[in-house]
Amino acid sequence: MLRNSRSEILVALVLIAPFCAVYGLVFVYPTIKMLLLSVTDAPLIGPGEFVGLDNYTRLPGERRFNTALWNTTYFVILSVVPGTIVALLIALGVNRLSGRLQALVLALFFLPYILPVSVVYRLWDWTLNFQFGVAMHVLDWFSIPRIPVFKTTTWFMPAVAFVTIWWTAGFSILLFLAGLRAIPVEIYEAAALDNAGRWNTFRKITWPLLWPVTALVLTIQLILQLKIFDQVYLFSFGGRPNDTMVLVQYVYTRAFVSNQGGRAAAIAVTLFFIVIIVSVLQFQLLRLAGNSGKGDDK
Amino acid sequence: MRNILKIGAGALAALGLTVSVAQSAETVLWWDFLGGGDGVRMKQLISDFNAAHDGEITIDATTLEWGVPFYTKVQTSAAVGEAPDVMTYHASRIPLAVSQGILQEITTDDWSAMGMGQGDFAEATWDAVTIDSKQYAVPLDTHPIVLYYNKDVLSAAGLLNDDGTPKGMDSREGFTATLQALKDSGSIKFPLGSVTGDGNFMFRTIYSLMGQQDGELMTDGEFLTGDNGDKLENALGVLAEWTNAGLQSTYTDYPATVALFTSGEAAMMINGVWEVPTMTDQHAAGNLFEWGAVELPVIFDHPSTYADSHSFAIPANAGKEMTAEKRAAVLEVMSWVDKNSLFWATAGHIPAYAPVTNSAEYKAMEPNATYSPLTANMIFDPKSVFAGVAGPMFDVMSTYFVPTLNGEMDPADAVADIKDELNDM
Repeated sequence: MLRNSRSEILVALVLIAPFCAVYGLVFVYPTIKMLLLSVTDAPLIGPGEFVGLDNYTRLPGERRFNTALWNTTYFVILSVVPGTIVALLIALGVNRLSGRLQALVLALFFLPYILPVSVVYRLWDWTLNFQFGVAMHVLDWFSIPRIPVFKTTTWFMPAVAFVTIWWTAGFSILLFLAGLRAIPVEIYEAAALDNAGRWNTFRKITWPLLWPVTALVLTIQLILQLKIFDQVYLFSFGGRPNDTMVLVQYVYTRAFVSNQGGRAAAIAVTLFFIVIIVSVLQFQLLRLAGNSGKGDDK
Repeated sequence: MRNILKIGAGALAALGLTVSVAQSAETVLWWDFLGGGDGVRMKQLISDFNAAHDGEITIDATTLEWGVPFYTKVQTSAAVGEAPDVMTYHASRIPLAVSQGILQEITTDDWSAMGMGQGDFAEATWDAVTIDSKQYAVPLDTHPIVLYYNKDVLSAAGLLNDDGTPKGMDSREGFTATLQALKDSGSIKFPLGSVTGDGNFMFRTIYSLMGQQDGELMTDGEFLTGDNGDKLENALGVLAEWTNAGLQSTYTDYPATVALFTSGEAAMMINGVWEVPTMTDQHAAGNLFEWGAVELPVIFDHPSTYADSHSFAIPANAGKEMTAEKRAAVLEVMSWVDKNSLFWATAGHIPAYAPVTNSAEYKAMEPNATYSPLTANMIFDPKSVFAGVAGPMFDVMSTYFVPTLNGEMDPADAVADIKDELNDM
């Protein structure tokens, strides 16, 4: 049968047109505008003068940009891999349960994920409140001096990373569970017949077969945590905002607090490229790691 | 089909009806950021206004989120001509707003139409809404910080004067001695409840202490010039000293500070006058000790208190000229609320319109009448686009105030870093 390729192309174009239009309107166009804005000294609203690459070249010398860059990196280190490990451990545990009990335990672990960030903030802010927090009374029982968790730079990032893992682990657990269920039972049966121990079963079967999911979780986490804003913004309110600043918060501060749209755009563009480069690098690394893992098995 | 047409026609007729009704009166779109106890009182004032102007002017009010969200929304809406007709505005934010061109000037004609003028306001308040000898807002109130104190505890410790005010309000030594005596009495956990966990808030106290030494944050566009850095260091030094001596609560955030005071764990508290209704209501319900509020102690050379002012401003809507009728209605709204701001005083704020604070009714209000003379010693934020509530200057200060006030950082180091960061902005 002869196909009319011309009309097929037409249909294809018509079908993808709505997507392209929306994508162009809400992503491509604003991105181009942001690039243009980043080379001007525009305020938050309204046009500005062209200033070349000034907004970019000043960034490395800016104390607050460096703080934000370091804090973001630190937060990523504290949350991405630890968060993935916690989720994997919980998923492995939940996977051993069955029936109603499994559903119940899973629901318990998933519950924090459905909370809005404002509620998460309120919960933990009061739990860890220096004067009235429940956690501080626990410290008192053990005669440990109270810790002003969100008011010192030492404890701030670890605490926010902890809260973030507590809050978002549910989603990663679901992904891991789906991955675990996709591993055929027969492989485990064969391993059991060969008298494989629990650790060997995990290392030789579960881990390599689960790798694609692990890589996915790591990548999602990385991109998400590089863009951290809400929790840090909320918990740093009134504390030491400039010392606990992260990159997206710096964009926000420059644009909405300091009324410097051009400089904010330059930071946003920089962050955009950091996210692209880091996530592409990580994905490639993870693929390599996955491939070499398979090589070992052979 | 016929039914649908009928309904449509009916709807159109109804629409026409409402339009004609609305045209007979001016509707004034109003935005404010008053979400707390004072918001309730403002809603009462608005409904009183609407009742008094039935058929002439109606205020259509919306309350938005305080701080950066409010001011961002005002800025974006003014840029596209969708801003309200009148809005509340912090005097400290006016320099930035004027540089953004989002406020209309309140002209001499406007002032005379409202029947108000410079003479009706405290000098510092009038100056706070003035940029280059032009006014950009009508002050509604001033809201300084004051010293709240627990009369029961202070009286038991013998620390009250005959007129019921705390002892030692006139010097650094005197006040520290009062705090120490409270600590020694052992009846409370903290002599002073301080918002040491929130540097944004502490700006008000520290700036007041700088003002007591005639210190200035900004002179000719430069931050902390000359000996102003030393004055900031002195101010920080006093508070750090109280922390080191265990005289004030550490790492305490705003709600916790109020809770420490109202639960009787802290004998005194420095906080905004807006907490007056909290105390009044709790006291009326029988849940609170006898309490009072006075002007801040004089730690340095002379009395001085930081204040900001809630004022009314008219946004400059881009590409949208306000009709003369509408402007007259807006002026009537601003002047009526100002002239009826005695009720607003129950929210703790000091009405800006002097005839109100001079009235016998106001002078009978307590503790308002006790602290309102401080309007003579008020200082406002420096006039800079970086200043103002929720502005970038607040964030710089907060970052260094919190470690300094809790004994983590030396005041001198803090001042050096603050200087660098302020000049980075």
